[in-house]
Amino acid sequence: MSRAPKRRARRVATVVLPVLGLLAVIALWWLATVFFSIEEFLLPGPADVLAAFGEYPVYLLEHTWVTLVETVQGFGLSIVVGVPIALLIVSSTILERMIYPLLLALNAVPKIAVAPILVVWMGFGPAPKILLVFLVCFFPVVISTASGLKSTPAELVELMRSLDCTRRQEFVKLRFHHALPQIFVGLKVAISLAVIGAVIAEFVGASAGLGYVIVASGASADTALAFAAMGLLGLMSIVLFYGLVYLEHRLLPWAG
Amino acid sequence: MPAGSMIVLERVSHVFDGRSGLVPALDGIDLEVGEREFVAVIGRSGCGKSTLLRIVAGLLAPTEGRVLVGGEPVSRPRRDVSVMFQRPGLLPWRSVLANVLLPAEVLGLDRRRHTARAHELLELAGLRGFADRLPHELSGGMQQRVSLCRSLIQNPAVMLMDEPFSALDALTRTELSVELQRIWLEHARTIVFVTHSVEEAVVLADRVVVLTPRPGRLRKIVDVGIPRPRTIHAPEVAAVSGVLHELLEVAV
Repeated sequence: MSRAPKRRARRVATVVLPVLGLLAVIALWWLATVFFSIEEFLLPGPADVLAAFGEYPVYLLEHTWVTLVETVQGFGLSIVVGVPIALLIVSSTILERMIYPLLLALNAVPKIAVAPILVVWMGFGPAPKILLVFLVCFFPVVISTASGLKSTPAELVELMRSLDCTRRQEFVKLRFHHALPQIFVGLKVAISLAVIGAVIAEFVGASAGLGYVIVASGASADTALAFAAMGLLGLMSIVLFYGLVYLEHRLLPWAG
Repeated sequence: MPAGSMIVLERVSHVFDGRSGLVPALDGIDLEVGEREFVAVIGRSGCGKSTLLRIVAGLLAPTEGRVLVGGEPVSRPRRDVSVMFQRPGLLPWRSVLANVLLPAEVLGLDRRRHTARAHELLELAGLRGFADRLPHELSGGMQQRVSLCRSLIQNPAVMLMDEPFSALDALTRTELSVELQRIWLEHARTIVFVTHSVEEAVVLADRVVVLTPRPGRLRKIVDVGIPRPRTIHAPEVAAVSGVLHELLEVAV
């Protein structure tokens, strides 16, 4: 066998195998609901969930869009704020000592405890959701960026210094670039938490979003609809995550 | 010594403040390197030869004594001095061409002119057609050639080389030292070349400086005086190498 078909076979396997796994789980789920004749409001079968989606496609997609926008905005905000703060931390030991414990304390507070307060402060609109997503994402972004900026190999720093570079040049041309793969590690952690943050905030007080759909369908015992909403949340997480992976491959071909 | 001193070291000493107390690395080094002279510095590991180079480069301030380059005391890295290290130290996200252009960029030199020059240098180093590759696509020897091109891009008056070929396999190493010799013959400039290979030093240098280890003191300066181009197998090279080996082995 030559190399190209082998590679293609491997690529097919990376797509086919997860799909097979997913199908197996769905089959088991379906079998369980049929075999133990579980009530639909307790555990709806795959067909019920699909039916729920078929019944309210526009409704579900509208709420998906709301949650997606909140998630992406909060995530974006965490990058816009987190990266400069990481730069501050790395640039001065004094700032590092001042900011770092604060960050740790901020991260130690359970986000679910903060959510109701945010709603009190900011109302039922998208603002508290975006802020909660931001709070969830912020820490991994700052930590990964800071540690990335600090991990520049000494030999490369010495090379730049031997050119009598400015501090700015050292950052822009060397440290920041070198930190990018590590920043992406933090971004991937953050994006997988981001959706959770948005849903938590929606649970507490919202009139839109998939979190709101889940709460509302729970109240009317429409479990199948709640499952459909959860499925969409899972899908959203996966798409966002692999979107980042794709971006990383495109932007950093050198960091394979 | 050829006309005028490019580099002057006056009683240069350096002491590192290590975890287990003070570690003397260099002790009272006096040395003059002439304009367009090729000087090799050899010694066992721990003789402070890399420290010496970093001090001349302005990357490290000596504890005592001073260094003059082109008649001016060195207090920081100079634009007309380039440094080449043991490892290629290429920026992995930059293409070969962009890596070679890095010094020109940092120093704010004319981009167009230096891009043309970078292509010339790459061609000279046998890297034609590799300008757009990323460093990880190149072998170790090719990466070090790129590094050599980079250290030539700003046309430095002085090149400081810290065991630039020691991480390479023996064949590539010989190949590169032949190339460096050729480059230097075409366009002579002041070079201080640190190495632990006696033969490499003899093939390349006008004079070889022998340091004693711990702390580094000047043991002897040997004039090579063999006509160029030299090869590693020439009997004259072997003769001078023998003398140097003896100097390195005998305890002081």
